[in-house]
Amino acid sequence: MATAASAPANDAARLSSRDEFVAFRSAANDRWSRLWDAKSSVISVGVGSCSIAKGALQVLAECRRLGGDATVRQVACNGACFLEPWVEIKRPNEPPVIYSNIEPGEVQALLTGQLEDRAAGVRAADAHRGIPPLDSLPFFKHQQRIVLANTGIIDPDSIEDAVARGAYSAYFKVLFELTAEEAIAEVTAANLRGRGGAGFPAGIKWESGRKARATPKFVVCNSHEGEPNVYKDRRIHEGDPHRILEGILIACVVCGAERGYNYIGGEYPLAIARFRRAVADAERFGLIGKNILGSGKDVAFRVRTGGGAYICGEGSALMYSIMGVRGQPRTKPPRSVEEGIWKRPTVANNTETLANVPDVILNGGAWYASIGTPKSAGTKLMTVQGALKTMGLVEVPMGTTLGTLVNEIWGGMRDGHRFKGIQTGGVSAGPLTADHFDLPVDFDSLTDVGGMLGSGGFAVFDESVCAVDYARYLTAFNRYESCSKCVPCRLGNPALVEILDRIRFGRGTMDDLVLMERTSKHIIELSLCGLGQVAPAPLLGMMKMYADEFRSHVVDGVCPAGVCPIGGAEAVLAAGD
Amino acid sequence: MSHAVHGEIDLEVVRELVSHLTFSDHQEAQELILAALQEINEHFGWVSPEAAEIVADHLGTTVNRIYGLLTFYADFRTEPRGKHFMLLCHGMSCYVLGSQNLVQDLQDRYGIADGQTTADGELTVQVVNGCLGVCDRAPIVKLDDDFHGNLTPDSLNDAIQRAIAARRANGSPPHGNSSVRAG
Repeated sequence: MATAASAPANDAARLSSRDEFVAFRSAANDRWSRLWDAKSSVISVGVGSCSIAKGALQVLAECRRLGGDATVRQVACNGACFLEPWVEIKRPNEPPVIYSNIEPGEVQALLTGQLEDRAAGVRAADAHRGIPPLDSLPFFKHQQRIVLANTGIIDPDSIEDAVARGAYSAYFKVLFELTAEEAIAEVTAANLRGRGGAGFPAGIKWESGRKARATPKFVVCNSHEGEPNVYKDRRIHEGDPHRILEGILIACVVCGAERGYNYIGGEYPLAIARFRRAVADAERFGLIGKNILGSGKDVAFRVRTGGGAYICGEGSALMYSIMGVRGQPRTKPPRSVEEGIWKRPTVANNTETLANVPDVILNGGAWYASIGTPKSAGTKLMTVQGALKTMGLVEVPMGTTLGTLVNEIWGGMRDGHRFKGIQTGGVSAGPLTADHFDLPVDFDSLTDVGGMLGSGGFAVFDESVCAVDYARYLTAFNRYESCSKCVPCRLGNPALVEILDRIRFGRGTMDDLVLMERTSKHIIELSLCGLGQVAPAPLLGMMKMYADEFRSHVVDGVCPAGVCPIGGAEAVLAAGD
Repeated sequence: MSHAVHGEIDLEVVRELVSHLTFSDHQEAQELILAALQEINEHFGWVSPEAAEIVADHLGTTVNRIYGLLTFYADFRTEPRGKHFMLLCHGMSCYVLGSQNLVQDLQDRYGIADGQTTADGELTVQVVNGCLGVCDRAPIVKLDDDFHGNLTPDSLNDAIQRAIAARRANGSPPHGNSSVRAG
């Protein structure tokens, strides 16, 4: 069989009863304790797609070459991209210390204790030798890690590491201790809402999936994530793939699905490789397959990868893509829980949603609902980008304010850059300004002022960015990614870009602003799917927030940021044209 | 990355690649079409009509359907790449830090836009609408196997010229260490 998911199981490792799993888990726990109690050092290097770009593999190789009797491990990105490449050294009887920005040529000096000034923090509650706890750094201080609890700590290629940190314990509970109704009740009580942007309650979706009568049923995890500034799901795959797999398997069991799918964006080779490895291991140990751990329950699994089409993040498009056709959304109803993959009931959840499920099951819905805000429970993975002092991925409780994100966690603007605004909701909403820094970031609070949580990807921009040009960039993205199925989106978005280009070249009029609003309204109201229905939102947001800037382009013939080619001779092709 | 001689597709290798894709029914075969095309595109940098035909035969579908997919999904190419292949990240983080200038400069200096190859066949650029995920070094490109970050139009041009010069000196594409080089 071709995919790792369907590779023949090695029966020698297969766990065939609940007792065998319990024994496996306790062996994994012992192995984990022995690792950290060893008499020699443990050196861990954060290797993710972000740090590989900065030489982490060479750093890892140097640690292996020069590490002597130390245990050298590969772990994944812990979210703090600005520390990369980082090396964590746990010396006997000391807490683990993380050293930042280590070049391959510096490993020798690091291991001989000459780079103590690079110590960024200790992974412990108290300071050690003057090195502060990692969790006291501004970047970590506001975080509460559920989904990211293990990233940067476990070896993502090791199922034993994952199990020692709790993986598959919730799955075990669902297989043997909870009824499907009880499990769904916990998810409902948790108020776990869809993390892909729509915020639909997962418990209600699972309930409909469970009640669907047609068989077979499927569960699909949406790991497509094609937005131009989001990489949260990629990092979960790279850092803790078993957490996602466990979430999907739990959904399969409680919804009575015969097969789980994970649809991963094709541009994430490392995420795909690590996830495939996790599936192969889970299969080898009998956590996927027939009669799992002797429970009498069967779940099959398939990994499918996308081909670089943003629209495939839309539920029905994703399912068409899995079925080997163009990813073009269809009208609803029927909803996917009625007719999804191969016209069978299919429960589709976002990766981050499913990655929260194991903790919801283990700790209970009430615990989860107590985190965050009453309407938006739990935590959210966030990325804020632009000319900020730090960079990375964080997990914060819902309701953390915009100002805390920008000014504390990400440290504010880099020197020489002045904050102008922050684009929210990826490419599906408008920008916000410093006036909105007191707003809590959750599913609902930003919507009233024209922003959106979306999948948690925000980008700050400074005075060097022109609102008209930025609106053109965002609209051009949606135009390029339109699947071309329905007319309003296929023709409306190019029309908007054309008008924006007219304005950029100084040939726009006040009538063009009215025309853009009218065209936007048509696209929003008449488009078939979610992409078209929000495609003009960034433009409308920019027009509202930076009305003066649009006016000065069309009335005064001036681009205040000095970006637009006003008076330029001809339209210049740009990306996506 | 492309492992093959630039442009040529060895159909024996294609047959070998698709032979690993086995299936139990026609539904599963259809689920594997994209995977087969991805493997070929990854290996050779593009998918030729002959390669598409092998996939169609193996998975019980038509070349028409395969082309419907190749022209829909942005990752696929239906023409060979140049000797050097560059992914130019145009995600939001790169945009707010000036990737538009890089796109413009490639147009002005090399005459290429998204998906195009220079007239001399040296360089193909693919503008990534998504994100390469190395946002702290934005704007960033991946040129062959190397990332180059914190770029300006001039430093990007230097990186391209260095890559071309290195290949001419060595007679083969540069295979670097996949780490970010100074802009």
